[in-house]
Amino acid sequence: MLKFKELSKPTQLCVLWIGLMLFLAVFGSFLPFEHWTFVYEDDLGVTPFSPGHILGTDNNGYDLLTSAIAGTRMSIFIAITAVGLGGLIGSALGITAAFVRGKVDLVLSTAFNVGLAIPNLVLALALVSVLASNVDMTVVVPIWRRVMVLIISLTIVLIPILGRIARGATLTWSGREFVTAARSMGMRDSQIIKKHIVPNVLPALIAVAFLAIGVVIIAEASLSLLGVGIPDGGSWGGMIARGRNDLEYSPHVLYIPVIFLAITVVSTNQIGEVLRNKLDGREAKV
Amino acid sequence: MQKLSFWLQRVSQLLVVLLLVTFGVSLLIRIIPVDLATIVMPVADETQRAAFRASIGLDKGPIGYYLQWLGNFVHGDLGNIYYSGGTETVSGHLIKAMPRSLLLMSYTQIFALGVAIPLGVLSAYRAGRRADRVISNTLFIFSSIPGFAIGLILIIIVGTKFEWLPTLGYATFSEGIWEHFKHMIMPVLSLSLGLIAQYTRLLRADMIASLREDYVTMAMSKGLSDRRILWRHVFRPSSVTLFTSAALSMGGLIGGAIVIESIFATYGVGFEIFAAIGGRQYIMLQSCVAVIALFYVFFNLVVDIGSGFVDPRTRDRRANA
Repeated sequence: MLKFKELSKPTQLCVLWIGLMLFLAVFGSFLPFEHWTFVYEDDLGVTPFSPGHILGTDNNGYDLLTSAIAGTRMSIFIAITAVGLGGLIGSALGITAAFVRGKVDLVLSTAFNVGLAIPNLVLALALVSVLASNVDMTVVVPIWRRVMVLIISLTIVLIPILGRIARGATLTWSGREFVTAARSMGMRDSQIIKKHIVPNVLPALIAVAFLAIGVVIIAEASLSLLGVGIPDGGSWGGMIARGRNDLEYSPHVLYIPVIFLAITVVSTNQIGEVLRNKLDGREAKV
Repeated sequence: MQKLSFWLQRVSQLLVVLLLVTFGVSLLIRIIPVDLATIVMPVADETQRAAFRASIGLDKGPIGYYLQWLGNFVHGDLGNIYYSGGTETVSGHLIKAMPRSLLLMSYTQIFALGVAIPLGVLSAYRAGRRADRVISNTLFIFSSIPGFAIGLILIIIVGTKFEWLPTLGYATFSEGIWEHFKHMIMPVLSLSLGLIAQYTRLLRADMIASLREDYVTMAMSKGLSDRRILWRHVFRPSSVTLFTSAALSMGGLIGGAIVIESIFATYGVGFEIFAAIGGRQYIMLQSCVAVIALFYVFFNLVVDIGSGFVDPRTRDRRANA
């Protein structure tokens, strides 16, 4: 579809950066570093490019490079899982709605509209705070439960957004002649969806999914900053939240996760944009 | 006549959506894994808790609870905030918080449009040249940096390093106009940079398309000045898209404002939601989310009607869709 060499220089950089992030997310824990919660008691609040700590440490003595790698894993994992789940469920619902039409479409479209009537972050915030609440406030909610809750909430937020796009795309494609032709030849609906609708709708969805990953990364960071996401520097948002405590004397604690987050979002946005333009070009030729 | 029935249909659709949204939010309260009465009255005995549940309708099942809440909501009673010392009404808090959020959002939109319109027109006029490339690339990077990150960086540089602006709080008009704006500059900047990028890109794309139209060639051959063509013949049709998209970005703005208000302690609606979650005031959370949804849906309707009036073409397109 797209060749790496044909991409522009900035886009190539974006692809490489995303590759690096994926590599860190998958293999980050195998790299020869101490665990990210290891405390360097002699190097508190060291600035970046110091010997032994290329990105510096924060005032608790956590090395920021290993923290950032651990944060990469958490943020990327949440983003990819939520977008994957939301995309699967959303596109299944959207394609069904547009293909079956009638009452199913009415119910599903209304459901999408209901989901879209609450601003994304407000909905995610409400879901997370409700789902993650504990009977006893003094008992800390375990990390895995917070991660689960975050993923579930962000998935629920994404379903109507991606579902509506899938529905719209399916509507335009299912009106095409080749679908009518396939139907007149006696092809079953499930076959038509599999052979004709999905391959055509998928590229648009993939382009949107890249944009959605950026949105989810930012949403996760916002939630962590508000104190309902990943606590204690476990993700980029968590690192930002922790860096906030001491931004007057060691601002680099804040800059490092912000830089990681911003470059990643720039990259996913750029890739999504390139994919979308490519699609538009193809559409124009048809 | 057909127009009227179209709008009636649209309004009734929105009403259904609103009812379903508020019902969904009230269901959220019921799926909390914690008993609400226990949170509100940690030391009370069971009869007191039962009385509390009955008073807000929690004993009546999902639909009964919703109807009671809706009845109160329509009459302006948004429930209470429960402290160990007593209660306060949510509506009282919201009446204080609402103007602040609305001001913050209006300033943001005005500032974003005020910067984006000249930038967009300039980069469309110089499309492909250096000015356009600089503007587009800079803004593309800004569009990807979340508002809270910009806000925190502003706090570091403007707030703590140079101490030009206060980093926390809100000042009312009665405390002095300049004082008021001093507290607003950083929140508005952090919220609007992303919007500026979005608007500029949109306006640029739309205007470049309009510049290719025949009537522009016609206007040029008549010898009209570039300035007049740009603003009168090209910007005007493109502005409809811009203002519609500005209105649609309201949802993201509301979400972004929650984070920004909690960073800068603006005490707007977003801050109230943040406080409601921190203090586990779930009834307040429910009412706040309902108010936001109401505002958002209503706003979209107004925009729909407005853009239909401004540009009849969108009206026809919507009616056919």
